[in-house]
Amino acid sequence: MLFNSYSFIVFFLILLVLHNKVPLPWKIKKINLLFASYLFYALWNPPFVILLWLSTAVDFFVGKKLYYAEGDRNRKFLLVISLICNLGMLGFFKYGGFLLDNFVALMSVLGIDYQPAKPNIILPVGISFYTFQTLSYTLDMYRRKSEPERSLLDFSLFVTFFPQLVAGPIVRPNQLLPQFKVPHVASSKQFVQGLMLLSLGLFMKVVLADSMLSGTADAVFAAQNALHPLDAWMGVLAFSGQIFFDFAGYSTCAIGIAACLGFSLPDNFLYPYAAVGFSDFWRRWHITLSSWLRDYLYIPLGGNRVKKVRIYWNLMATMLIGGLWHGAAWTFVVWGGLHGLYLCIEKFIHDVRKKHAPLQLETITPAPVVVQGYSFAPAFFKKVASSNFSLALLTFFLVNITWVFFRATDFTTAWRLLSSMFGNVSNGAAILTTVAVIKVAIITIFLVAFHWMMRNTKVMNVAAKMSWWALGIIWAVMLIILLLTQYSSSAFIYFQF
Amino acid sequence: MQSNFVKAGLFAAALVIAFIFSWEIYLRNNGNTISYDDGEPLWSDKRAKVYLPSDQATVFIGSSRIKYDLDIPTWENLTGDKAVQLAFVGSSPLPVLFHLADDPEFKGKMIIDVVEGLLFGSNPMMFKRPNESIDYYKKRTPTQRASFQVNHFLESNFVFLNSEYFTINRYLTELRIPDRSGVMGEPLFPKEFGRISFERQRSMTEEFVKDTNLQKQVKDIWAFFGRALKEPPPQGAKLDSILQSIKVAVNKIKSRGGEVIFVRPPSSGPYLMAEQKGFPREKYWNKLLKYTSTPGIHFKDDPATANFVCPEFSHLSPEDAITYTKALIRTLEQKGWKFPYKPAAQKQLAANK
Repeated sequence: MLFNSYSFIVFFLILLVLHNKVPLPWKIKKINLLFASYLFYALWNPPFVILLWLSTAVDFFVGKKLYYAEGDRNRKFLLVISLICNLGMLGFFKYGGFLLDNFVALMSVLGIDYQPAKPNIILPVGISFYTFQTLSYTLDMYRRKSEPERSLLDFSLFVTFFPQLVAGPIVRPNQLLPQFKVPHVASSKQFVQGLMLLSLGLFMKVVLADSMLSGTADAVFAAQNALHPLDAWMGVLAFSGQIFFDFAGYSTCAIGIAACLGFSLPDNFLYPYAAVGFSDFWRRWHITLSSWLRDYLYIPLGGNRVKKVRIYWNLMATMLIGGLWHGAAWTFVVWGGLHGLYLCIEKFIHDVRKKHAPLQLETITPAPVVVQGYSFAPAFFKKVASSNFSLALLTFFLVNITWVFFRATDFTTAWRLLSSMFGNVSNGAAILTTVAVIKVAIITIFLVAFHWMMRNTKVMNVAAKMSWWALGIIWAVMLIILLLTQYSSSAFIYFQF
Repeated sequence: MQSNFVKAGLFAAALVIAFIFSWEIYLRNNGNTISYDDGEPLWSDKRAKVYLPSDQATVFIGSSRIKYDLDIPTWENLTGDKAVQLAFVGSSPLPVLFHLADDPEFKGKMIIDVVEGLLFGSNPMMFKRPNESIDYYKKRTPTQRASFQVNHFLESNFVFLNSEYFTINRYLTELRIPDRSGVMGEPLFPKEFGRISFERQRSMTEEFVKDTNLQKQVKDIWAFFGRALKEPPPQGAKLDSILQSIKVAVNKIKSRGGEVIFVRPPSSGPYLMAEQKGFPREKYWNKLLKYTSTPGIHFKDDPATANFVCPEFSHLSPEDAITYTKALIRTLEQKGWKFPYKPAAQKQLAANK
């Protein structure tokens, strides 16, 4: 079920009444939420609910045994069972075709003509998200980081909680499970804030991503010939905006929906296009995935507590796997590899500067943690070093290069587009209408400026400082534009991951 | 602070409700009527109806001409037969023909609208919409079906819910900002050109039928397409290959007990002349019928339909669509088509009067 669909509105209204207004025991409300979550998922493809059940059952029972088991061999055996089950499902459904294609290509290189039947595997929606979520529970149990969950109902709800089930935020056990222990019903403030976030998320998805930007991005990435540099850049900038508004829109909806039910979910995006450098970017983009990769991959590999060469390797390996997590194609691996390379270069520069002039570092390095509650105001600009904004623009520019590989269906398309962007072609075709170019240009300028202004605060902090009538007008304008957009409901890009 | 958010929410809700009703009243006062989104969900809803018994339904495939020219209420009242409209504007009928031919459950009656430039064309744009809709139908989820039902209720009650004409993107395009040379922007059809019924029939408004300026806008668009699409008509082996694929598909349907007939709806003026020049009847229409051993009804063969004047050269006015539909039914009966529920339908029609 899509958040941007009429069926979801009906589903959500019924659930809101049941959860917030009908005086039922907390356990019954949780059963309602669990049933609703399974229904939410099953309405895409009912048989795939079995995968959710399997994942839930394996991780609940194996996790418990893993925590209490004695002996290293025993514990490793249990961990392997869980990993095989979770990663096996992910591997089969998501990477089966990819592995087969590469095997065929390898055979061909070796001169063996191997032609297997093409598998017709349908990717279960959101499998990468809930697999990582349940994996974090199992790995926590292995490390005995927290107590195992005793209630199968609560654990099932943790795996299946519908607002974030199919496209995150990827929630850790300690962020969600404690919330199921005590009754949660939305206060009127939380409820209204939830609705506001839901409206904002839908505005980002339907108006900005789908209606204003997707057509331009699709046209440019589908072009079979070299393009005029303006068209190529506008297509890439359109996708840059589309992927942000689409994914951040989903996360914002998810956080808003959870708030309407009285729950809180972690932030997933904090104005990433204002990032100064790539470590800052990954603290702002898909935060719950990057922190997952940091905690369950980068740090176990040794993180930055090992020799320098090994640190670079750890960074690169983490980003390559992060790239592959997004999709079963080499273009995604290159996308991850580019981000890994940027991070390595950034680290190298950071180390060199630290060695030679440690005091200067403060002027270019962003705050490691985004400051909460920082008010955005004109005075803010005065405090910002202009060099930092230039670095933010440079980061944005480099991020756009990576999006080419992320969006292109193959390397031929990616190279053709990169050549067009940098004017390395003659007589590139102009394909975008003036209206399309203006739309992309205006949205991109506003997007970057807005991210820069908001980089140290949150939308709710800003909203809380506004007068009720100004906030009401902005909210109404957003909803009216949403109504006037009337874009047919289309799936969120990240569902395919 | 708490009341601030609640007050803002209530204020926003009041503003949105006020806007919806003002906008709706404004559009209705300007003569706009209910029109449905002719997208994949509506097509899929009709596609699912092809399994009605063959004596109760007829499937229509093709392009915009049959969507304008077949008056569905007239058809259903006079034949007692359900008209399942599966045609797409500006598209080839072939993807839907092949799709239904490959569906062993489809054993019904089918009328194929022949617009030579589309039936024999190979521009990818002519296949895009049908292929996307077929794909949507195949992958339709329960939630999409549920959303369609809610959408149907809302679209039936609000004029402003019209994704073709009353959207921000449409208003931005109406600014008509000049494009760079070589850029092919999408032409804007006037709002009065097409209202879409829930049965997927398209109709011109009365204003369009009367206003020659509006008609000229559409004529200019046809001329634009004529210049832009310079694909030469297929000949020789290429034409034979198309005809062979049609023959195979038609035979599949016939082998299951289905009936197929080709229909060439009217066009007029320079448009018709260009069609006759590009696709001479002898080389294309006649060859199509002969090659596929399938009957056909050409508008020029019936005096009742031979001399229609299409307001914009390509589609009939709502009034002429009724006349054409009656003539089409008469000719079909002459060619042996049976409508067993016709007497009951006509009895019902008489009772309603």
